[in-house]
This record gives sequence, structure tokens and C-alpha cells, in this order.
Amino acid sequence: MMPKLTRWWPHAVFIFAAFGTPVMLSGNRYFAFIAGITLISVLWSTGMNLLYGYTGLMPMMFGGIAGVSAYSTIGLVAVGWSFWPAMLVGSLGASFIGVILGLPSLRLRGFYFTLCSLVIQTVITLGFVYFVNLTNGDTGISQIPLPGLPGGGRLSGLAYDLVLAALAVIGVILLTLIVNSPLGRRLVAIREDDGLAETLGINVTRQKLFAFFIGSMFASIGGALYAPYVGFISPRSFDVLMSLNIWLMVAFGGRGTIWGPVIGAVLLAPIPFLLQDYYTIKDVVYGLLIIGVIVLLPAGIAGGFKRAPRAAKPAALKPEPAR
Amino acid sequence: MSNSTIIIALSTITTGIMLGTIFSLVAVGVTIVYGSIWMPNAANGQFFLLAALFAWSASVSWGLHPAVAALLVIGISVPFSWLLEILLVRRFYDVPNRNISYFVLTLGITQVLTGIFSVTYGVWSDQFQLPPIVKGVTFLGPFPIANNRLAAMLIAALLLAALFALLRYHRYGRALRAVFQNREAAALRGVDVRAIYRMSFILGNGVIFAGGVLFAFAYAVDLTVAWTMSVTAFAIMIIGGPGSVVGALIVGMVFGFTQAIVSIFASPTIAAFSYLGAMLVILLFRPSGLFAR
Amino acid sequence: MSLLDARDVSMRFGGVVALRNVNVKQEANETLGMIGPNGSGKTTFVNAMTGHLKSVQGEILFDGSPILGRRPFAIAGAGLARTYQAVRVFGQLTVHENVEAALVDAARPLDTASLAETAAWLNLDNRLDAPAGTLTLYEQRRLELLMRLVQRPKLLLLDEPVGGLSSHEVRAMIGLLSELKARCTIFIIEHTMKVIRELADRVVVLLAGEKIADGPPGDILADKRVIENYLGNVDA
Repeated sequence: MMPKLTRWWPHAVFIFAAFGTPVMLSGNRYFAFIAGITLISVLWSTGMNLLYGYTGLMPMMFGGIAGVSAYSTIGLVAVGWSFWPAMLVGSLGASFIGVILGLPSLRLRGFYFTLCSLVIQTVITLGFVYFVNLTNGDTGISQIPLPGLPGGGRLSGLAYDLVLAALAVIGVILLTLIVNSPLGRRLVAIREDDGLAETLGINVTRQKLFAFFIGSMFASIGGALYAPYVGFISPRSFDVLMSLNIWLMVAFGGRGTIWGPVIGAVLLAPIPFLLQDYYTIKDVVYGLLIIGVIVLLPAGIAGGFKRAPRAAKPAALKPEPAR
Repeated sequence: MSNSTIIIALSTITTGIMLGTIFSLVAVGVTIVYGSIWMPNAANGQFFLLAALFAWSASVSWGLHPAVAALLVIGISVPFSWLLEILLVRRFYDVPNRNISYFVLTLGITQVLTGIFSVTYGVWSDQFQLPPIVKGVTFLGPFPIANNRLAAMLIAALLLAALFALLRYHRYGRALRAVFQNREAAALRGVDVRAIYRMSFILGNGVIFAGGVLFAFAYAVDLTVAWTMSVTAFAIMIIGGPGSVVGALIVGMVFGFTQAIVSIFASPTIAAFSYLGAMLVILLFRPSGLFAR
Repeated sequence: MSLLDARDVSMRFGGVVALRNVNVKQEANETLGMIGPNGSGKTTFVNAMTGHLKSVQGEILFDGSPILGRRPFAIAGAGLARTYQAVRVFGQLTVHENVEAALVDAARPLDTASLAETAAWLNLDNRLDAPAGTLTLYEQRRLELLMRLVQRPKLLLLDEPVGGLSSHEVRAMIGLLSELKARCTIFIIEHTMKVIRELADRVVVLLAGEKIADGPPGDILADKRVIENYLGNVDA
């Protein structure tokens, strides 16, 4: 069931802001870069929102999946692939790996699932550090080449920012469509009470798998584009803290709403840059925010938007007028 | 058997006991807190490190006698835990799915402490070790072992025994086990459940702090110890069975020996992989753990 | 072919035998009741039937097909629905959203007109936008029924449907359930005879995991073994 056309106005505003901001900031590369990182964070937090906000899963391996995609894409490009097919294959591969790794743990409830995915994330990070031949270990990979364009030349500067904006917009639209679809209804039921959902005939494991795959795609595509944009990655870029911080954007902004996590990303993503000189303080700030969110704002700052009044009375329970 | 073989064997055994008792101590601390208030303490490694670093500061920077420093640190853990309990932990006691809230809360605490450590204690490769309480070396056959390390081992073992006795025979221990099993029933029998919660949190953390201090007597500590310890302690708790002190003890010793043996052949990373692998296997096939009631 | 045919159903939890060789049969349109004291295994039996328990022994045929060992969602899809002893709805979602959740994977969903009629019959059609958690207990019980009815189940297991209701509400619920019989075959599990006596065509009595009696309510009330072990001690 598509929401009425008038309910797409926030998306229109977002499209304007997403594309407009890089254009406005194109004179200052530093600010434009912050905007770009924020756009990737929007994509990531939207993916995390699908998993945490709408399905109730807290996948601590989100960062690891983004990392697998980033490293794979770089690897494929290094052996001669063009960036875009490499990104596609890298993302699909990482998502499949994510599903395979996550599948056995989807049967676990609540805390055990989170713990399991935390362990998987730790294994992935250890893997990044250990398999130095593939990833250059803790030293990281620098001077990552920018994506090549079909007509020749490379994606950079404003054009790159606009590509990121497009992906963020597509991500949010996709989430909106999912939320309003039967899949969305199933996921919400699962989030609220997965035992009851199963009793009502919903194949909980399969739906979680779908959500997991789609969420992983958000993580992967973001990861593949993050690497050339920043120019440097290391295992630290995609570790537990990264997953936790993306989760924080969702929890802080308001899980279970489309826009809460977007707001969360916009507010939180620039923080490391503002604290540039005090980069170690970043950990403390994020940690305190996490504690604060857990203690004070369980529904996030957009929690109030969740019960927005509906214009139309739900039609399903009234007899349809004769056409 | 040649001398070198004996030395390797004795070294492995003593390392195994040393690591095993420390692992067990920390794991017991974590499992007590989880069994009573349902709090999986992801920050246990940071507490462990905090104890070690603070003891180091007290003895090296302030010049206190190491034994005094150790007792001071363990003593401070009490108001520290008490404060945490009042500010952050208490509010969740009646929340149904609090284990996941606590888990994320402690992840936040982990992040805060990680940040503080990197600012105050510098680069990750720095090493810290406490000056010895007891000097000299004892010989077990051809194998030399520092008396200090021996002392740490003994104290750790004694602490474990004391804990075990406390939980089995003392009134508090029985009340704690009653709460582990069924808090409603325990409350009906007159147990002050919230007081038990508070005491468990303080006791559990105190034990972790003790573990950190003892470890710093025996080995040099660097900042990565925190994550490694957290992972290990969680793995032990999950495999042994959340809430099972016996499980934490047994699995802790097994892990200690495993690490001692593995270090002969391979890097510690392999050991970490194997803990994580074992934890995953248990989570997926027998989530209640090996020694669950 | 019986609608439900459970044969020699047995189940142990660790060292405790929760169910021992329980045999239950139910025909379509026959209202079956199951009573027994608390702890006699009634809910265990329901959980065994609906796929919520592992290592259940025996055989359970539903509409001719074996369902033992299948996942709960598949059993629900086959037309066997159940409610919970402690009322269970999606508290944070509205009544409307609760019904949507029940419809999304319903194998044979009710059409829109019948849906509206059912909601009206259950007096919930004016509460559609209320979060389910704000409903009274009796309203939530009715919501549970609505959520099952929109799936048009072949058999509805009701686990202690009057638990927690005031005596006035219990009367009303009994009235509702007798009307419910016309829409759907029901199997009521209760621990007092009062509800069962008025509604059931046949009653199965469970004691410590074993079936000790099986027959019309009148026979059960007169059964010596039942009176000795159960009715004599609990107020019926």
C-alpha cells in the first residue's frame, strides 16, 4: 500500500537538502567532505534503521559487513575491474557473507543475538588484522583510487558528493516503500513480539533474513563508496565502535521512524570533525551519548513523531463503497 | 626427560594456572553480575584494565607500596561500583528485557573508558607492570619462577576458594543463589532482592578489579588487554553458562591452560579466534552453556 | 477423518514427565474442553500442538496431516490458531495495526466486509486507532479473538480465555464464545468447570500430565476419579 502522494513531502525536502548541500558547499572542500560523510552516514543509519528500528535486531556486525565490501571492492579494482561492477559484486558478496554468518544467530533472541553478532564482528575485525596479505592489516590501505567513470576520468569532488546524495535519497525512499509494504508489517510485528508474530503465521526467520540482506546491502554499498571517498581505510574503520556509532544515530534520532535516524546521522556524523583536534575525546563523547540515550531517551528524539495522526481513516475495517 | 622439556612443561603449567585463576576470577565476577541482575558487563575488560592502571599509578607515580596500592584499588572499587549502581544500573531493575539495555549501556561505558585511557595513559604499545611485593626467585626443579608471580597465583587461587566458600556456605551466598534461581520466590522468602542486587554488583566488580591488580603483578599490561579480557570473560561466561559460578571456574581454568599451550605454537590471535569460535558454537547449539543448572 | 487427532503425546522437561501418552480427538464443529489443575500439563499440551516445543513424542494429525515437528508459523498456516493464557497482543501498535499483522500472512484471510462485521460483533470497531496496550483486559481478549478470526482458522485453541476477567466479564465472554462456536471450531482449555460446562460438547480431564477422563460434561462431573482428584479440591 503506497502512502498518499501528499505524504511524500518530507522526501521532497530531503531530496532538495541532500543535493543542495554539496552544491552550496562546493566552494569549501572541507565542509563538502563533512557533508559527504554525513550522506554516507544517512545511508548507513537508514540500513541500520531497517534492522534495529523496524525489525528489532541489533546487528553489531554492520561495520564488519561494510568493511568486507570495502576491502573486496578495492581488491577487485586492484586486479583490473572497473569500480562500479566491483562495488556491485563486492556489496552482494559482503551481504551474502553477512547473511550466512548471521543466519544461525537469527534464531537467538534479544541479547544473545546481539552478543553473537558482536562476536562475529570481532572475528571479522580480527580477520582484517590477521590476513595482512589481503588487507594490509593494521597499517591500512591508503591512496585508494577514485572510482572511474564510464566516459573516462574519475569521480571526484562535487560529482562524488552528488552520487552520495543520490544513494542516500534512494535509501530513504526504499526504506519508506518497505515500511509501507507487507514486508514492513511483518517486520514491525517481529520487532514488537516475534513469538506472537510466529503464532500468527509469519515465518519470522525468513523475514529476518530478508531484512538482514537488505540492511547488509545498505552497509556494503556505503562501505564500498566510503573507501575511495576518504582515501584510507583500516580495520579500525569498520570495527565494533563503528557499528555502535551507527546504531547510536538510529537510537538517538528515533528508531522506528523514517526520519529519526536521518536526523540522528545529520547531528552525529559531523561530530568527529568538530572534535578534530581532540580526536581521542570522540570516543568519550560517543560513549556518553550512548549511555545517555539508553538512560534518558529510549525512543530517541523523534519518538514523538511516531504516533503522527493519520489523515485518512483506515479503510480496511469498513465495507468498501460500491464502485 | 631433558631439562628443557621439563622447563617448558613447568612453564606451561604455571602459566596455565596463573592465567586460569585470573580468567576465572574475572569470569566469576561477570557471571555473578549477570546471574543476579541480568547485566552482561561488556565493560569488564575496561574495569580490569582500570584496576591495573590505577594500581600502577598508585605505586609508581605516587610511590605507594605495591601491596598498599593493590588494596587501595580494590577498596576504591566499592564506592565506584556503588556510584555506578545508583546512577545507571538501578533504574533498570524492573525493566523486562534489561539485559540488552545493560549490554549496550556497558558498551557505552567501554567506549568512554577506552577514550579516557588513550588520553591519560598514552599510546597503546606502552606497557605497565606493578613493582613486585615479594622479591626473589624460587626454583621448581630446573624451572625458575618469580616469587612475585607465585604470590599472585596463590592469592588468586585463595580468592577463588574464598568466593566459592562464600557462595556455598555463607548466608549472603545462599541468598544470592536463591535470587539467581528465582527472584520472586526469593523475595517471598524474605530476601531483600534489591540489596542482593547491589551487593552482587559491588562484589562482582570487586573481583574483576582484584583480577586486574593481580594480573599486573604477574605480567606487563598494555591497553589492548581490555578488549582481550572482555572477549575472554564473556566467552567463559557463555560457555560455562551465564550465572554459573562453577562453570566460570572450570571453563576459566581450561581457557588459561589452552592459552598457555597455544602460546607455545602460535600467536595470541589464534587463541582469541578459538575462544570466539567456541563461544559461537555454544551460542548456536547450547545457549544455556555447559554447566547451567 | 477427525479435525484433530493427537495420539500418545508425551513430553519431558529434564527429569519431569509433563505429558504422558495423552490421546485427544476432536471433530469439526465439536466444541472440546480440557480441564485440569494448574501444572497438569494443559498449556504444555497446547504448546506441543502448536509447534512451540521440541522433542515431543507421539503423533498429531490436524485435518489429516501430521503437524508434529513443524514450525509454529507453518502450523498456524495450516489453520490451527491459538491464544495465550496471559493475554498477548502487540501493545505498542494500534488495534488496526494488530489486525494488519494478523492478516499479512493469513493463509485464508477474511474478506473486508466480513472483517468489518467481525470487528463490530466484537465491539472493537470504534477502538481501531487505540494502542492495544491501552485497552482493558476484556477488550484485549476480544482483540486476540479478532486477530485469530480474521485468519479463518479451522480450529482455535483458547488457553484460559477468561483468565483475569471479572465475573460480569466472564459471563459476557461465555456468551461471546458460544456465538464464536458458529464461526469456528474451538478447543477451550480452562482450569474451572464453570466455563467448560456451558460450552463444551465433550471434556478431557488432565491430571499430572495424563488423561484421566474423556466424555460429555455431565459424565465428567459424575466421574469418581475426577471428583476425587480434582473437583473435590477445586471449586468448580
